[in-house]
Amino acid sequence: MSAMTEASDPRDPLSLHDRLLEATYRCVERFGMGKTTIDDIVKESGISRATIYRQFPGGRDELLLETVGWELANYFNRLADQVRDAPTLAALLQQGLMYARRSIAEHAVLRKMMDTEPERLLPLLTTEAAKSLPFIADFLLPYLRREAEAGRLRPGVDIDRAAEYLARSILSLIGAPGRWDLDDPARVAELVDVELLGGIVRK
Amino acid sequence: MDFPAGDLSPKATQILDAAITCIGRVGLTKTTLDDVARAAGCARATVYRSFSNKQQLLVALVAREAGALRAAVVREAASCDTLADAITATITTSVEFLGSHPALTFVCAHEPEVLIPYLAFEREDAVLRTAAVLVAPAFTRFLDDAEATRLGEWIARITLSYLFSPSENFDIGDDVQVRALVDDFVVPGFVKSEGVSR
Repeated sequence: MSAMTEASDPRDPLSLHDRLLEATYRCVERFGMGKTTIDDIVKESGISRATIYRQFPGGRDELLLETVGWELANYFNRLADQVRDAPTLAALLQQGLMYARRSIAEHAVLRKMMDTEPERLLPLLTTEAAKSLPFIADFLLPYLRREAEAGRLRPGVDIDRAAEYLARSILSLIGAPGRWDLDDPARVAELVDVELLGGIVRK
Repeated sequence: MDFPAGDLSPKATQILDAAITCIGRVGLTKTTLDDVARAAGCARATVYRSFSNKQQLLVALVAREAGALRAAVVREAASCDTLADAITATITTSVEFLGSHPALTFVCAHEPEVLIPYLAFEREDAVLRTAAVLVAPAFTRFLDDAEATRLGEWIARITLSYLFSPSENFDIGDDVQVRALVDDFVVPGFVKSEGVSR
């Protein structure tokens, strides 16, 4: 059995890597970050220690960091899927912020980690979250271009700078909404209109 | 949170100054009240009279430094003629204050685990809300209190983002670049929502 489950497909080397991250995630969900061992991951994935260390020479620490990054990427992919078909940039941002906030509130593993081991999770999460910025900005570019083509951008707006500004704003709001109730559509609409798009989209 | 710079006795002020020196040298974790007493040139008992434990001292220190930051921001903004200038001055003054603060720079460089909890979720919320109240006075010449606080939070957000996730393309300490960011992305929304600045 171990030969079958362990063999990595040379045509698709990423699958082994991802299988290990998924297995690590499942272990963390069950045992927490502090208590998850390589042995747990061996049992969960069916992949040998030797192969695991080949994929992740940094061992447990590297696996945990990349697993946080992996789930964060999953989170943003789910978010992107939710908002991809929005008719305007404003609608995209409104729907995105509301969905993003709800899905953080409902993320069981995140809640559990924040309750039991925030000091283990947060350094990894803040590091990995910062890496999301270029991806969020890239996702927004086509929507900014669409606004430009429709004549809806304010004159002189640099699309790349606007994308970076919006990406930073979004990442900040998702993690810490501050004064904003992101469950209230009217407040979200106001936030998007003033703080986010006030300098980007024509009134 | 209160910013009681005016309420501190000269002794307490001296002790807090000494604490900054100690933390700037060896960091937060290793600094003891005995170290602070030595650096302040006073007896341990004197320190303990002002601050019953290290935690109390740190709370007072943060409050005082926050007050100092507010004073610096208000001072710089007072000489600004427009909202855009006031926002720019607020950001660059804050970045300069934080970036040259001996205790904060040591902790950032060597004890990031102390600060990381304040960069996410509920504790970041608290930082943003406090920062908003701190800098809002810089804008009350141009906006009403509610709008000034709202703007204060937004500026804290942007500044925090660039401080902890620096960009290759943008220097949050450069007033020309900050002014462009403020003009292009921040002011248009706030001025429009108010109508005309006062």
